[in-house]
Amino acid sequence: MTVTRVAESRTEFKLKSLPEDAISSVKFAPKSNQFLLVSSWDCSVRLYDVTANIERHKYNHELPVLDVCFRDAVHSYSGGLDQTLKMYDLNASSETVLGEHKAAIRCVEFANEVNAVLTGSWDGTVKMWDSRVPNCVGTYNQGNERVYTMSIVGEKFVVGTSGRKIFVWDVRNMGHVNQRRESSLKYQTRCIRVFPNKQGYVLSSIEGRVAVEYLDSNPEVQKKKYAFKCHRIKDGGLEKIYPVNAISFHSVYNTFATGGSDGYVNIWDGFNKKRLCQFHRYNTAVSSLSFSHDGSALAIACSQLDETQAEDPKPEDIIYIRYVTDQETKPK
Amino acid sequence: MGRKKKKASKPWCWYCNREFDDEKILIQHQKAKHFKCHICHKKLYTGPGLSIHCMQVHKEAIDKVPNSLPNRSNIEIEIYGMEGIPPEDVKEHEKQKTGGGKGSDSDEDEPAAKKKATPALLGAGPSTVTPGILPTPMGPVPPGMYPGHAMQMNHMMPPYMQAPRMMMPGMRPLFPAASVPTSTPSKPTFPAYSNATISAPPTTSTAASTSEPKENGEVKLPAANSCPLVTATGAGSKIIHPPEDVSLEEIRARNAKYRPKPKPDAPVNIPTSAPSMISASTSQAEVAAHMSAAVAAARQQAAMRRPVMQQMVGMLPQLQQLPQLQQLPQLQQLPQLPQPMRVGVPVSMPPVMLPVMPQFNIMRPLQPGMLVPGGMMPMGMFPGGVHGLQVMQPRYR
Repeated sequence: MTVTRVAESRTEFKLKSLPEDAISSVKFAPKSNQFLLVSSWDCSVRLYDVTANIERHKYNHELPVLDVCFRDAVHSYSGGLDQTLKMYDLNASSETVLGEHKAAIRCVEFANEVNAVLTGSWDGTVKMWDSRVPNCVGTYNQGNERVYTMSIVGEKFVVGTSGRKIFVWDVRNMGHVNQRRESSLKYQTRCIRVFPNKQGYVLSSIEGRVAVEYLDSNPEVQKKKYAFKCHRIKDGGLEKIYPVNAISFHSVYNTFATGGSDGYVNIWDGFNKKRLCQFHRYNTAVSSLSFSHDGSALAIACSQLDETQAEDPKPEDIIYIRYVTDQETKPK
Repeated sequence: MGRKKKKASKPWCWYCNREFDDEKILIQHQKAKHFKCHICHKKLYTGPGLSIHCMQVHKEAIDKVPNSLPNRSNIEIEIYGMEGIPPEDVKEHEKQKTGGGKGSDSDEDEPAAKKKATPALLGAGPSTVTPGILPTPMGPVPPGMYPGHAMQMNHMMPPYMQAPRMMMPGMRPLFPAASVPTSTPSKPTFPAYSNATISAPPTTSTAASTSEPKENGEVKLPAANSCPLVTATGAGSKIIHPPEDVSLEEIRARNAKYRPKPKPDAPVNIPTSAPSMISASTSQAEVAAHMSAAVAAARQQAAMRRPVMQQMVGMLPQLQQLPQLQQLPQLQQLPQLPQPMRVGVPVSMPPVMLPVMPQFNIMRPLQPGMLVPGGMMPMGMFPGGVHGLQVMQPRYR
């Protein structure tokens, strides 16, 4: 039979030498689908060579790391519970502390447009940093709400916080907030990602629901926004509703993958309101997703995040790399 | 226009090069050999059909057509019987059979007008395999032109469909040949796919947008009374999330093992001789001594404490999880303090701040009688057994 089983096929495999605790974030390199950065609750940041399936680099924070990002192929930024933003030079294996927040750093993003790093923290602020030297360029209050998620594409910068607030910024002019919004979803914001074409963003909540929203405040455009339910499992008479933890965009097709605590990954065509496919169920909650720059590979981080607070036995923390096909990701 | 001069070869299967007498048999062969799902044995109609079926029904990716020749395993080419075979392969097959380029020459000029051949003509010339012919537009041909086809093909067939070959009137439907996935403007209306369409399409604007205004109205409630709990859903469903409305990461970060580790410069070699609870039998003097020890230790540490610690004050309820809670310095190592004194709980703050937080019950002036009956201790604030000894603990947080 020439049919291949998904679990062990060439289309999907597990990374080796994985972190020893939950995986907080996975990010593919900006211009290659070979390198993947992984931050973890075991206080480490690791760089994997996905092609060779080996761990290339590893450095540590004092406390769990919540997010990591690439600047270019050889520099990464990371932050976490130790409130410290670190820059790491992957060539020289040297780290630089760029600065601190007053509380844990939840999100780290690199803004190509202005060559700066953005960090979002539970201290209710976003800070912008010079990408090379320890220099905080500015601190931007996010309504005193804890930053839960951030996304930047070009100059469009969207921040999601506790209290279901959403702040839309323009990184070229951080003097004022462009838009203040309230989430159109009823429950806590979990993840926000801006469309690669910058028209809008996708927002997910803890209540198995995803919203597609548009940045243009023109009422005609706003009419197009919608939301849909997903990542729910009927179990007998009870419907279990899971948080949607992760969203990642296919940079070419503007389709996106969502990962939920139900352990499923779905791929959606947001403009045509269609689900393109659903992968098999993973061993535990999907905590982070990342498409490679060309959309040919999807990194899937599986880690339980204590959603149920039922401890034992704790499922393994695993990162899968899946090579996706056009059939799975391209609008029909 | 006109009938084909040469008797072209028999129908053959692109996937395995096998020849058949009748295209009906060829189609049966393809369904059984090449388009059968290996999991549920359902027979699909085309390679892409099989691939979509496996993806949607079984969540498995298929990269090759089963039982196919190595160079003919492409799952993305839509072939049904003799329909959809790449023209160069048709030509090659023809060459192999007839052993000459004559066929292709004569067929090159085969115009689209061939399609206008009357059914009678087609019937008379059963095999019209035309090597080299490219998909020809069929748009102008009224469906009624082909009795026997019109019924099944009708409007589902996009205009670019390949010129029908091997046409016997009423022979078989041509339908799946129509869907080249990238260019099909039609929704998956093919009967073959109907059982494999997305089973849970997103609820789209109708449901969402109508309910949204209502939701927006309601949402303010939790924000207004700042209720930190996740609002429950209906009876038939349950959100798999801790009851508190804070992010999973924040909840996880409270876990003791993710707290800052003790500073290397902090004194670690403190003996652990103190009792874990002050029982009713503990003498007042002893209690007082513990208290003074605790405060003294706290003062020592306050000097070296990082400002970072202050944020931890809000997380006191986790304190009792710490195993080190019961550690205490021996009192003889410590200077005596005057009594009564105030014992501050959040020792992460400098001792000078202690008196300004009278709302903490245990910060009240310590009176000797207070500790003796265990029940008198204010338990509300710190469920894990509240007594002055706890003031030690911030060092380990």
